[in-house]
Amino acid sequence: SISMPQQYCSLSLVGDYKTTGRDSLVFLVDASKEMFIKGEDGEPSNFDMTMQVVRSVYTSKIINSHRDLVALVFYGTEQSKNPRNSFKHVYVYHDLDEPGAKRVQDVDALRGGKGAQLAAKTMGSGETSLGDALWCCANLYSDIKLRLSQKRLMIFTCRDEPHGGDSVKDRQARTKASDLKETGVTIDLMHLMKPGGFNVASFFRDIVSPPEDESELGLQLEPCVKLEDLQKRVRAKEQRKRAMARLNLCLGEGINVAVGIYATAVTARKQAPVRLYRETNEPVRSKTRTFHTQTGSLLLPSEIKKAQVYSKKQIVMEKDEVDAIKKFDDPGMFLIGFKPMEKLKRHHHIRPAVFLYPEEDEVKGSACLFSALLTKCSERNVFALCRCIARRNYPPRFVALVPQKEEVDEGKVQITPPGFNVIYLPFADDIRTLDPPQCPVASQIQVDKMKEIVSKLRFKYRSDAFENPVIQQHYRNLEALALDMMAPEDMEDLIMPKVDQIDGRLGPLVEEFKDLVYPFNYNPDSKPAAKQRDDVTRKKPKVEMPEEELRAHMQNGTLGKLTVAVLKEACKQFGVRTTGTKKQELIDALTERLGS
Amino acid sequence: MDVGFSMSNSAPGEEPPFELAKKVIQKFVQRQVFAETKDELALVLFGTDSTKNSLDKDDQYQNITVHRHLMVPDFELLEEIENQIHPESQQADWLDALVVCMDLLQTETKEKKCDRLNIVLLTDLNTEANSEQLDVIIENLKKAGITLQFFLPFPVGDDEEGGGDADGRDPSQPGTGKGLSKEQKSGLDMVKHIMLSLDEEDGLGEIYSFSKAIEQLCMFKRIEKRPMAWPCQLTIGSCLPIRIVGYKAVTEEKLKKTWTTVDAQTNQKDDVKRETVYCLDDDNETEVQKDDTIQGFRYGSDIVPFSKVDQDQMKYKHDGKVLLGCTWHLKQISDEVQRHQFMGTQVIKIFSAKDDEHAGVALSALIRALDELNMVAIVRYAYDRRSNPQVGAAFPCIKQDYECLMYVQLPFMEDLRQFTFPSLANNKKFTPSDTQLSAVDSLIDSMMLVEGDDQKDMFKVHHIPNPAFQRHFQCLHHRAVSPGTPLPPMEPWLKTALERPDVISERCHVPLEEIKRKFPLTEVEKKKKLKTSAQIFGKDSEEPDAKKEKGDEEEEYSLADIAEGSVTSVRIRGQLTRRIEQLLSNKNTHYYMKSITCIQAFREQSVKLGDANLYNGYLQSLKRSIPNRGLEVFWNLLVQDAITLISKDEVEGSTVSKNEANQFLVSEEKKEEASTPQAEDTGDVDDLLDMM
Repeated sequence: SISMPQQYCSLSLVGDYKTTGRDSLVFLVDASKEMFIKGEDGEPSNFDMTMQVVRSVYTSKIINSHRDLVALVFYGTEQSKNPRNSFKHVYVYHDLDEPGAKRVQDVDALRGGKGAQLAAKTMGSGETSLGDALWCCANLYSDIKLRLSQKRLMIFTCRDEPHGGDSVKDRQARTKASDLKETGVTIDLMHLMKPGGFNVASFFRDIVSPPEDESELGLQLEPCVKLEDLQKRVRAKEQRKRAMARLNLCLGEGINVAVGIYATAVTARKQAPVRLYRETNEPVRSKTRTFHTQTGSLLLPSEIKKAQVYSKKQIVMEKDEVDAIKKFDDPGMFLIGFKPMEKLKRHHHIRPAVFLYPEEDEVKGSACLFSALLTKCSERNVFALCRCIARRNYPPRFVALVPQKEEVDEGKVQITPPGFNVIYLPFADDIRTLDPPQCPVASQIQVDKMKEIVSKLRFKYRSDAFENPVIQQHYRNLEALALDMMAPEDMEDLIMPKVDQIDGRLGPLVEEFKDLVYPFNYNPDSKPAAKQRDDVTRKKPKVEMPEEELRAHMQNGTLGKLTVAVLKEACKQFGVRTTGTKKQELIDALTERLGS
Repeated sequence: MDVGFSMSNSAPGEEPPFELAKKVIQKFVQRQVFAETKDELALVLFGTDSTKNSLDKDDQYQNITVHRHLMVPDFELLEEIENQIHPESQQADWLDALVVCMDLLQTETKEKKCDRLNIVLLTDLNTEANSEQLDVIIENLKKAGITLQFFLPFPVGDDEEGGGDADGRDPSQPGTGKGLSKEQKSGLDMVKHIMLSLDEEDGLGEIYSFSKAIEQLCMFKRIEKRPMAWPCQLTIGSCLPIRIVGYKAVTEEKLKKTWTTVDAQTNQKDDVKRETVYCLDDDNETEVQKDDTIQGFRYGSDIVPFSKVDQDQMKYKHDGKVLLGCTWHLKQISDEVQRHQFMGTQVIKIFSAKDDEHAGVALSALIRALDELNMVAIVRYAYDRRSNPQVGAAFPCIKQDYECLMYVQLPFMEDLRQFTFPSLANNKKFTPSDTQLSAVDSLIDSMMLVEGDDQKDMFKVHHIPNPAFQRHFQCLHHRAVSPGTPLPPMEPWLKTALERPDVISERCHVPLEEIKRKFPLTEVEKKKKLKTSAQIFGKDSEEPDAKKEKGDEEEEYSLADIAEGSVTSVRIRGQLTRRIEQLLSNKNTHYYMKSITCIQAFREQSVKLGDANLYNGYLQSLKRSIPNRGLEVFWNLLVQDAITLISKDEVEGSTVSKNEANQFLVSEEKKEEASTPQAEDTGDVDDLLDMM
């Protein structure tokens, strides 16, 4: 049988997330002739596919975790290039370092037909000694002075017997592999398609790290044929799980299940800018200090207090008191009870969900009780309602723990992990009162026509199908600037509806529907446009306000009734400089000026 | 509010209705004051010994006092309610009081533009009311567009669907008709009659019990500001536009005001100044002017200078012509779009544009088509041209009295982290036995939060006011009216509202004991050790501090290393000082910060052990060595953190007075003030990790 071990980095190493070192990843890629064989129908070669994956890991690291170290090493090459040139047929293309624009370009150069030519020219294909290659990688690790929190090595190959049965070389490779594993390196195999099938058992079983959960799941993994599969497998290994928090889930007095909270979906944002010194382009650091305006002396925390002003009254508190107000209890989850799934309303959504998984290494027995809860909740279609304080001095929130069973795809790769999704529930304050407008109801004929339209546009949704165009554009711009490209790489805007295709699919249906619902000459743009113009002309003259009136508003605490435009104008009028655009900020600024 | 004599009657051990009613009003006014709404409010008392109202004439409308005319509520009102409103000894007709309120609303809003007029009546209905004018009153209420809410000392029957008052969580309250006086019964009939005449469907939902009113936000919901309308177009393909309007329906509400920093002595904001300076990462930390800096971004190991202007020019732009375009791909609701994939922090309800019935029909056709096919729309959503577009799902939602689409954001590829976790089901070590599973079964049975055939929800989270707000307002209120006194404890009702309902606690007692027996749980020893080291460093690394998030790879100097194992006083402290010295030999703010953590740990440990001398001695000699070693920058950091000597107040054996301890830092500070840096501003804890 074939083995593709599943590694899980954080489960056994309780401490590793606390000692936040850098993650590191070495791509050890087979550069033998077999890797360059193109598939039928012009399918990309295994080498080409690997380079695409390496590139996507590089760019995703640049976006998400640019401090991670990545290396790219080829084995089975004709040429040799490594730090001390002590290994033949091992070519270190990139040593362990942060990925940057240049490296992305280097990898790009190895893609496609031209890439194969370049590889043949610079490295060539030659003898194979995986033992030497692993040894060389071990040196890469030991040359790093930084603390590494995760060391991972991925072997990409389509040869299950790299040494052609040479038992000496095989043994040497096994020894080097076990040396590496002893120093905390996890070795994964990304085996690629090979005619006749890839036999993991014959050689690689002893090279790779054993699966941690002792499941037999990994043993049946098929070699990767498609790029997406490979990408998925690499990504699953490469992405590091870090618990946002480790807590106890308390079912009752003395029944504490240790759990970790993981963020499985986090809104990706454009990075914050870095300040650079104009002369040298070197980054500068910012320091903020608090000092006394009159004396100029620095203020100790004990010399400052916190204040808020409400209806002209200043309320002052000590810094500790401000924190104490927020504290309800120590961090943890407390089970309130269970509810049927249908009591979880779809629209009760205030934040992205997080994921809960047991931490057997904190409290022994957690996994078993957790597993039993998961099984039963899922079987009975109920969720657990808990009160949750995720961090110190965080006020409580209620959460629904929704069971999620493990799912694997045909290739036995896990698609959904087992555990609870934690859904944050809104409080009364979070739900707004709406007066739903009275709207007409469509007739069945109209509905049926729309159903035809809707059915034409049916597709299968995948959550990873849409790239964020804002972020993509930002990084393409940076890439272009970093690499002195003439223009940024073109980007396909995946969230823009493919209007032409849709129009094509719908054909006459659109006109038919319009005939059914819209009168002749109906122009959806006209009304709001006209109204808007009215609004503008009506509002303009009212912007300025006499001082007495403004003062009266301030005295009565009714500044809030004025519009933002009026307030802004008033700020200008009284020479109040304010950076704020929010109403409250404007009001505060004005009150301060006029009140003194 | 009824302040008449019957309002003070109560069974032994129970709070009189007067007190409860007063609390309801206090809660309400408190919230209005802190929300700084422009809503105006008047307070009319009835059952007062005196009479003061504009309808007072020939024995009519007696014992009714307009305590405060219509105006924005403030702290004065709060103080008045606290100190001036007492139970009085008369009784007054609550219908008369209602008329006085209606008159007040009509005359005092004449000059004003008001969106909503609402009268809230708090009474025990214990006076006989004259029902002759009932229909005229109802007619006038309708005409003036005034809504009504009643708050009574007892709940009104089981049928309270509309008001969502149906938790059934207070079994102590007498049910309808039980224990009510004759006047109360007939009063209640009148109340019901009025409410049903005003609103056939939900009228009774606006009658609340006092205790519910305190725990829930019944009163606020009615007068609450309605969300802003967001008009735009929904387009299918290129030529099927529908005019729509969106409203934020659910969103995480935040407190509107933030804390400002004031000088502790003067309480003046102007006496405190915060300044950010920039410096080069060299030995001298050379300061540079902000104008001499430019903006750049990281691209992996590269830093790319990228000015704001360039950035704006090159950034992703969307057409902005169609605000909400639609990728009209649709799919099975439950299958593919799962609840836990929802992103963002809000749900938007989408209706058709006002006054456009054609758009209404078109949207209705879409909503119904989606609903009948059990599909959702995947749409591209852009609030306006400047904002970042999103991809999201629009679910059809058909209610009895309205229909709409509900929009929720979905993840982008960049947002997802596909973690894999070890299988639980396939791991024999973790597989629960049948008896274990059945123990969990009985636990679930005993802890179901629904009851009855209609599965009534006993614990509606969305009816609980955010406890953080309640506590915040309570403390601000307290500090505003009684400055100089310590903050009050949390209110008991708030604590109770967050707890497991009593019924459940009783029911689950036995099954929980069974779970305890069947599932042995043992804390792993290793953890204890880690905890000890964590304690030394003053931070419990079990729950990462929000502030520590800025990951720092040089954490290799993580102090946990030295303190592993059990902590015994002197030896550890010796190790700490060695480590501090080691860290200080690297002249870099990063290491300075680490040494400060060490010193803090050293200090805490010393305080805990009640031995100040070792620490004080070390700190004093450290201070002396500062000029020679050129550690001024470090010292200033220490000053910023106010880490000073251990005084007598903290440890008895200390030879240092509190004043001396404070002086210890101050004297040095004056010399160096100009170049004193502070640790990089990490922002407010609240800003970080919003997701938690």
